[in-house]
Amino acid sequence: MPQPCTVVIFGATGDLTHRKLIPALYNIAADGDLPSALTVVGFARRDKTDDQFREELGDALKKFSRQTVREEVWENFTQSIFYHRSEFGDAEGYTKLAERLEKIDAERGTRGNRLFYLAVAPDQFEDICLHLKKSGLNKTREGSWARIVVEKPFGTDLPSARKLNATVSGTFAEKDTYRIDHFLGKETAQNIMVLRFANAIFEPLWNHRYIDHVQITASEPLGVEGRGPYYEGAGALRDMVQNHLLQLLCLVAMEPPTDLTADSVRDEKVKVIRSLRNMTGAEVAENVVRGQYAAGAIGGKDVQAYRQEERVNPGSMTETFVALRLLVDNWRWAGVPFYVRVGKRLPKSSTEIAVQFMSAPSVLFNKGGAVLDQNVLVIRIQPDEGISLKMEAKMPGAAIRIEPVKMDFHYGTSFGKASPEAYERLLLDAMSGDATLFARRDEVETAWKFIDAIEDAWHKPPAPPPLCPYPSGSWGPKEADELLQRDGRAWRRL
Amino acid sequence: MAGSDVTFSRGMPVEIGQIQRELKKLWEEDAGGSTRASLMNLAVYCEGEAALTENTDLISAFTRDHACRAIVVAVEPDSPNNRAQAWISAHCHMSRAGAKQVCCEQISFLLEGSVKGVFPNILFSNLDSDLPLYLWWQARLDRPIDEQLLTWVDRFIFDSASWSEWKKPFALLREFPARSRLTVRDLNWARTLYLRQTLAQLYDNPENLPHLDCVQGWKMTCAPGFRSSAYLLAGWLAAQLKWKLVDAANLLYETVSGETIRGKIEEKEGAAVSRCEIACKTAVFSFSRDPHSDFFHADYTLPDGERHYLLRAGKEETIDLLDQELMMGAKHTVYLKALTAALPLFTK
Repeated sequence: MPQPCTVVIFGATGDLTHRKLIPALYNIAADGDLPSALTVVGFARRDKTDDQFREELGDALKKFSRQTVREEVWENFTQSIFYHRSEFGDAEGYTKLAERLEKIDAERGTRGNRLFYLAVAPDQFEDICLHLKKSGLNKTREGSWARIVVEKPFGTDLPSARKLNATVSGTFAEKDTYRIDHFLGKETAQNIMVLRFANAIFEPLWNHRYIDHVQITASEPLGVEGRGPYYEGAGALRDMVQNHLLQLLCLVAMEPPTDLTADSVRDEKVKVIRSLRNMTGAEVAENVVRGQYAAGAIGGKDVQAYRQEERVNPGSMTETFVALRLLVDNWRWAGVPFYVRVGKRLPKSSTEIAVQFMSAPSVLFNKGGAVLDQNVLVIRIQPDEGISLKMEAKMPGAAIRIEPVKMDFHYGTSFGKASPEAYERLLLDAMSGDATLFARRDEVETAWKFIDAIEDAWHKPPAPPPLCPYPSGSWGPKEADELLQRDGRAWRRL
Repeated sequence: MAGSDVTFSRGMPVEIGQIQRELKKLWEEDAGGSTRASLMNLAVYCEGEAALTENTDLISAFTRDHACRAIVVAVEPDSPNNRAQAWISAHCHMSRAGAKQVCCEQISFLLEGSVKGVFPNILFSNLDSDLPLYLWWQARLDRPIDEQLLTWVDRFIFDSASWSEWKKPFALLREFPARSRLTVRDLNWARTLYLRQTLAQLYDNPENLPHLDCVQGWKMTCAPGFRSSAYLLAGWLAAQLKWKLVDAANLLYETVSGETIRGKIEEKEGAAVSRCEIACKTAVFSFSRDPHSDFFHADYTLPDGERHYLLRAGKEETIDLLDQELMMGAKHTVYLKALTAALPLFTK
């Protein structure tokens, strides 16, 4: 259990606080994993009393909590929630915050431990960090700690990421900075290391000798859902690949760390990103497909094209889909492609890693042109977290007829309890001072360096690769299918 | 969990966006009382609301031997409404070992009004991942099927006997991507399976070969509405024996050595193809089945006397044909050859 502390949420009236942070804290409390002295202070611009704030959070909790809300628990928890009104750039607001936190320490026993959670847009980071520093809130007294949690996006390219990191590191040391990537908080993402390094059967096969290729997919049927202006400036590559998908790739491809400390694990992940083969402009055109959803149908309903979405440029060149063929240039993965795709308005909501093993030799059952399916190990990150293994089996009967079968493990049903939400785990880790599941500065910057090369090729003359339209509800543009077909492969049927 | 042995209703209505969640709940409520099984996705595309119930009945029987996730999509493109509805249900049967109920999921959809692009998305969204996809196309095949969807299909099942026109759909079938994993499976072709096996066995017996070297003609009797079955069988004979069709209207063929073969097709109530006779210069081989019988009477008239055998003829219920097709692992090469040879016989 973490030490008692005060969690100060900047942007406390926003969506993230209502949908994720408070439900996560409530669920941890309901599971009995929070110290009783834990206190939450919401920091935002709007005028509000503590009671109004608590009431709003209570309403949101009923909608978004993983567990049914138990009045008794919420009544108790709500007494530890406070609201602090201030502009992010108002020095006085921080002075008063410091006084209030002192008072909370004295009254509630939070011992001067503070977790500052920036649930705000990156353009507010500078103001907040600056004032936290000026008001001395980043400093701790003997035996206590002050940490900062930063939400993505960590910049929009390498220069902006460096600037953001410099801003944050001017106030908090790297060891006290927690860059959150909620994908890493998911049970199955954490299980990748367990699967690989706690089972003797997989690791010997986990290399170019036995693995044909790896596919990582993150798909969702939703469009931009009113986030047009944000998405216009981001696109699928920056929004998803730079962070979530590269993080998953790292967990699949990394070498065993020397131990399970945060830096040992993150050292190995950085090595993977550094080993990604950089692409020239021509190679980007060959190995990366960018697409944008056109009108189509999802779940029986017609949906409009991206360019017709609210507050989206009708001539937008922003990608809502991207498929990449990546190579990790190290001993283990020499010649093994990692196919990564992410997109909006695709048929299913799904994030999965599929490790496709090589085919059995062309003798016996594979003889004479018969092609059997490859063994596939699928790690489902969300939804329905779990792992499945596809193998070939003989159908009952006199003839030898071979069909694929699937062994399936579901987290939801196997352990008799639901997996905690990613934010629950990550908040607990941040409070406990375990940064393993958070991105380190060099990870973020190295990832941006890799992504920037692709963005540059897309936007620089003379011949940027085309933006391929795809009907909403399909599995992306045909060019993405061709990306694999050229290698004699195909995307998995999800 | 209610077993399908009890009822063939469409199941529980669900919101389309919540199907996976509702399925999950369905199994959680069961609390381990039964085992969910799935070895394939069986997708059915049909026309009209009534087809939903008919297919639920069929799938209930089908899942006794083939564990699958069934996705039944009925379309009503001419409906003035423009809406999509969904239901989920489970088909449960006692396992062969008798110890536990084995259950399969069925997701049913009724799509009314414009369905352009809706069907591929419905299928893509609801597949059990990594398992083969068998698409049973029960509607008219009068327009190309979504290309991306076709690359996902392992078996494309249809019944050409249910069509009123053949030239266009057969042309479309032959255009299916050659490199894809797809195999075409015609239930109409399955109707002739036992007859084809029986005819092929004729050639396995060395005693018959001298007679079969000089075939002069063949006669078939088919049920009204099943002339297409007879045409496919005739196409198969021609393709296998390298006969060249010289007069489609009069069913005249020419052998490699230039001999003429005369074909004749009659219509009579009974099995799809209830009789087939191969007439040679020196012998006659005839196979016939009585209505509702599962056996062929094989009558051979040979120079040294007559012989009679009773041979398996199989059943012609749709469920039996489907079962038979799914148990076969072979590609569609022979079918496509037979189809090529039979195509000129189809006048529309």
